[in-house]
Amino acid sequence: MKKLGVKAFVAIGMLSAIAYVLMLLNFPLPMFPTWLKIDFSDVPALVGAIIMGPVAGILIELIKNILDVISTGSETGVPVGHIANFTTGLLFVLPTYYAYKKVQSKKGVITGLTVATIITTLGMSVLNYFVFFPMYSIFMGFEVPKLMVVIAVAPFNLIKCIMISIVFYVLYSKMQDRIAKMRQAF
Amino acid sequence: MMEKMIFGRYIPVESVIHRMDPRAKLIIVFLFIFVVFLANNPMTYGLLGVFTFIALLLSNIKISFIIKGLRFLFWLILFTFLLHIFFTKEGELLVSWGFIKIYEGGLIQGIYISLRFFFLILFTSLLTLTTTPIEITDGLESLLNPLKKLKFPVHELALMLSIALRFIPTLMDETEKIMKAQQARGVDFSEGSLTTRAKAIIPLLIPLFINAFKRADELATAMEARGYRGGEGRTKYRLLKWDLRDTLALLILIALSVTLILLRN
Repeated sequence: MKKLGVKAFVAIGMLSAIAYVLMLLNFPLPMFPTWLKIDFSDVPALVGAIIMGPVAGILIELIKNILDVISTGSETGVPVGHIANFTTGLLFVLPTYYAYKKVQSKKGVITGLTVATIITTLGMSVLNYFVFFPMYSIFMGFEVPKLMVVIAVAPFNLIKCIMISIVFYVLYSKMQDRIAKMRQAF
Repeated sequence: MMEKMIFGRYIPVESVIHRMDPRAKLIIVFLFIFVVFLANNPMTYGLLGVFTFIALLLSNIKISFIIKGLRFLFWLILFTFLLHIFFTKEGELLVSWGFIKIYEGGLIQGIYISLRFFFLILFTSLLTLTTTPIEITDGLESLLNPLKKLKFPVHELALMLSIALRFIPTLMDETEKIMKAQQARGVDFSEGSLTTRAKAIIPLLIPLFINAFKRADELATAMEARGYRGGEGRTKYRLLKWDLRDTLALLILIALSVTLILLRN
């Protein structure tokens, strides 16, 4: 893997800012509780990962969440939600990147997004059950009926991943040539 | 929405807490997350409450303003409280009214846990209310500096954070402009089925990405032309200054922790 240069750092900063702005344009899904919100802030991380490599994707997810914590703070005092959001991002971006690396075409993107959707939905269910809900219980003294919530949250994650996949796929097919050119530049 | 982006929740007033070194504030808030768990009886919770409210008073921020920001959490705290009251069955039976049975243990637990959560949120929100995002970034960079030995790119991370902070308002402007242009052509961002919404966001994203990469290119060239070569030997425009009051604040927190340890059961 190439080392990231100044240009890449600046571009990562810009993409993180886009991710943060997109995170603020969130909306709840019909039929789901309002605290489960959909946003497209993972799209800039996907773009960054595909153009500049996996480290860029990880950094964009990380910076997006740090930006939110340092500007508005965490609703629960301890940023458990932000850590969960970061993990979701990684579970989604990294599989997509590695599948794309193998097959650099629309086919690779579709395979990557499909695998990433499955990994994220299953992975987040497991992590919610064993890590994030227990963390909430510790800091908020709030016993979550874990299994029930996991069953409710999984379809939400699935829908969210599918929507992000659709947006990223359309975006990729429109920007394919440009992305290929930019990959050379970094 | 614009306002929210640029300043976060920062409230620009004069106070001792505003003037504190961001590093001190970061350390104290981080430690406070653990200190909160030391309280376990009326005395210790009382002390924690007094400490939190003195900190709030010193920050010169209107209490009513802070409470307003916590409205959503109020319900969460109430819910937690009720959950504990109805479902913790310990100690003496206090009220028995039909199927509702309230036990002493449950009531006390409910009160304690709600208070702990309340203090934790009040105190941690002080950080973002009294410190600008860029100050927090500087503080984080300085605190994480030792990680450089482990090859963790502390300087680069701080650089990316400050670039992002600098461009958030610009990008917000741009996003709004593009959204309005799209809306003028009949696109509806807030209605419609999920696929319609997903499709509506694409004409917004493409110009944002293209402009961002163009800007990144220009900025990187400008930085290199001015001799930017990483964090080594770089001088700073914004300097952090650790004062006596920062040491004092840290000592007070330590004193509080020791007292809590001594007073707890």
